[in-house]
Amino acid sequence: MNSGTAKWQRNVFIASFIIPTLLFFGVFTIYPVLQGLYYSFFDWSGMSDNKTFVGLDNFKELFHDPIVWRAIGNDYFLVAGKVVGIMAIATFFAVALTRFGFRMAGFFRSIFFIPNVISVVVIGVLWNFIYNPQIGFLNAFLSLFTQEQVTITWLGFTNHTIWMLLPPAIWAGIGFYMILLIAAIQSIPASYYEAASLEGAGQWRQFRDITIPLVWEQIKVSVLNIMMTTLNGSFVIVWIMTEGGPDNSTQVMGSYLYQMAFRQYHFGYGASIGFIILVLSLITTIILQRLMRHETVEMS
Amino acid sequence: MIMKKKFAALGISAILAAVTLAGCGSSKNEASNSPSASAPAATESASAPASETASADNAVKLTGDFEIQYFVGGYGDKWWKKVIADFQAANPDLKVKESGGPKINDQMKPRWIGGNPPDFVYIDGAGLNDRQMVEDGQLEDLTEWLKDAKNIDGDLITDILAQPAQQFDGKVYNIPLVLNSWGVFWNKALFKEKGWTEPTDFQSFLDVSDKIKAGGITPFIHTGKYPYYINGSILYPAIVSANNNDFSILQDMAANKVEAYESPAVLAALNKIVALRDKGFIDKASIQINHTDSQMLFLQNKDAFIPNGLWLPNEMSKDIPEGFDFGFIPSVTQEAGGKVVANTSTATVAIAKNGKNKEAAKAFLQFIFSKAQASQWAELSGAPSNIKGDISSSNAPNFVKDAAKYLTDPNTVVIPTITYNADVDKAMMDATDALTISKITPEEWVKRVTDVVKKVQ
Repeated sequence: MNSGTAKWQRNVFIASFIIPTLLFFGVFTIYPVLQGLYYSFFDWSGMSDNKTFVGLDNFKELFHDPIVWRAIGNDYFLVAGKVVGIMAIATFFAVALTRFGFRMAGFFRSIFFIPNVISVVVIGVLWNFIYNPQIGFLNAFLSLFTQEQVTITWLGFTNHTIWMLLPPAIWAGIGFYMILLIAAIQSIPASYYEAASLEGAGQWRQFRDITIPLVWEQIKVSVLNIMMTTLNGSFVIVWIMTEGGPDNSTQVMGSYLYQMAFRQYHFGYGASIGFIILVLSLITTIILQRLMRHETVEMS
Repeated sequence: MIMKKKFAALGISAILAAVTLAGCGSSKNEASNSPSASAPAATESASAPASETASADNAVKLTGDFEIQYFVGGYGDKWWKKVIADFQAANPDLKVKESGGPKINDQMKPRWIGGNPPDFVYIDGAGLNDRQMVEDGQLEDLTEWLKDAKNIDGDLITDILAQPAQQFDGKVYNIPLVLNSWGVFWNKALFKEKGWTEPTDFQSFLDVSDKIKAGGITPFIHTGKYPYYINGSILYPAIVSANNNDFSILQDMAANKVEAYESPAVLAALNKIVALRDKGFIDKASIQINHTDSQMLFLQNKDAFIPNGLWLPNEMSKDIPEGFDFGFIPSVTQEAGGKVVANTSTATVAIAKNGKNKEAAKAFLQFIFSKAQASQWAELSGAPSNIKGDISSSNAPNFVKDAAKYLTDPNTVVIPTITYNADVDKAMMDATDALTISKITPEEWVKRVTDVVKKVQ
């Protein structure tokens, strides 16, 4: 009897924490997702008070829309580029600032973290100026080495302009993942490294066989996080810098969703793009988790 | 003890639940409150002394609520505040509510979707597209009413409009209020200093551009990020010029007729852009920059010509260097001796189909489309209005008066308001961008755009 009440009390206590959160999650996450899915079955301008049910027509059209495929390609290009770029540079800096005992380590750590404090919008505007063909820093810098003034339109190539969005995206991302890895590396007992160097292992060997396996969890989280934030959030930097142009060459799914839903008045179609983003994010998360879990086993 | 704990747990959960609910509640309240945020302004204007316009109002007394939605952008809200105050004074029994602001189109969207729109709407700014609103059945059909509607001075409204209303399948839903023009600007002072001749037609434009280029300045810059600037100022006037000054081709294009896009006039116009491109007149920076950046480069005399709208001097007023003198021509693509083609850019007003006080909305139309408002609009908003009327004695800025002169000149072909289907418009913008960077040919431009037209028909 007494234990039954205690159990009930425990449940009430737990429920008092879970239920409000669940309510919030339901109202602000689950409900909008379902609502979005619901709208994706309609032909709706986003302004009219009547919508036409079209079933799966929006999704069928999506598969025949070349811009959607380009947007998906650009999204995964950014994911791949950011994962490789950010992880390589962040790991390098993290190791350099912890394992090599710089005097100025604290200073550099702050410097590298600064882009994370700046809003993505500001970063976009800043890099727009760097890339500006007439008054930009990049062309001015390159002009130092050439006879004639360099006038490359960095954001105006007929194709592959998406490459130019990679440097700002990487630059903006390094700081956070660097801090994450620094924290992980600092939690590795120094004795491991001492033992390794006594056995004659060099810096590279220590990095490969001690650092990487022991910070693998953090690396995994970082990769997943980069992937998810890119698929869902690459919209901002694209919209600030190019609005998907020129001629849709830098369109990502988020920007195309916005373009279709709010500029071309196909809200239902926009909703179906949103649903595709969700599905692709889920699938990619599962695949990446599988891939990286496999490697963890090998390492340890 | 146990009971106490239980109550504590229940208490916590109750508080948390209350917080959750309160969060929902307050967000809802906010949404419904925002339109009434401008209520103080409305009551303030109600207490304003009745102006002389009150005497002109001898029709039925207007009562009830009357709500006006107006976007506040480059033209400001001074005119709206003034005209609404005057209208309120003339109709003291009417409760006028104004919902205005730079984000108003988004804020009011839920009400349009929910079938509870304001009575009167000014269609300008992002998020409102007249063609889309007509297709969505949001706007009142004004065709019959406009035929014999008279303004408060007793003039037929259609008589005092400088440009007629756009027709959608032969029906009128919205009336242009602002009349502005696209065109090409240059710096008269720079031209004088260098001894360049100001362009009057396409050949003289090409000739002077050759000289400008030889002088080390790039002749032409535009904003590739927003290609409707080059479409509005160069492409559409060029199509009309190539079509013997007959602008009905653009109206056919807007009506999604494929033949119109396949007309030789379209190719001829596109080839003029190709000519500019192949002669190296177009600043390479154009493709990636926004309108502000292109305007800055123009103001710094880095580029000689810029396609833009007549709002440019007003928009950049803070950044215009000393001695900069705007030269303007509505089009540069006509043959020597041919007529100038002015592609107008308008903002319109309309009545909501689901509005509750259409009588008041119609009375407001009769109120604002009067001669007195022509100079008042020009003065307070810095742009020419669509109401015929002599503004030369008003305090309107000089370039507004010049523009008004151009738009009423019998030797100017004035293209009335034309709104293209949003998908077709986007396809044309993308294709023009691609054309200026040699990604496609004019034939491919036509192919791309007609493919989209066929799809949206």
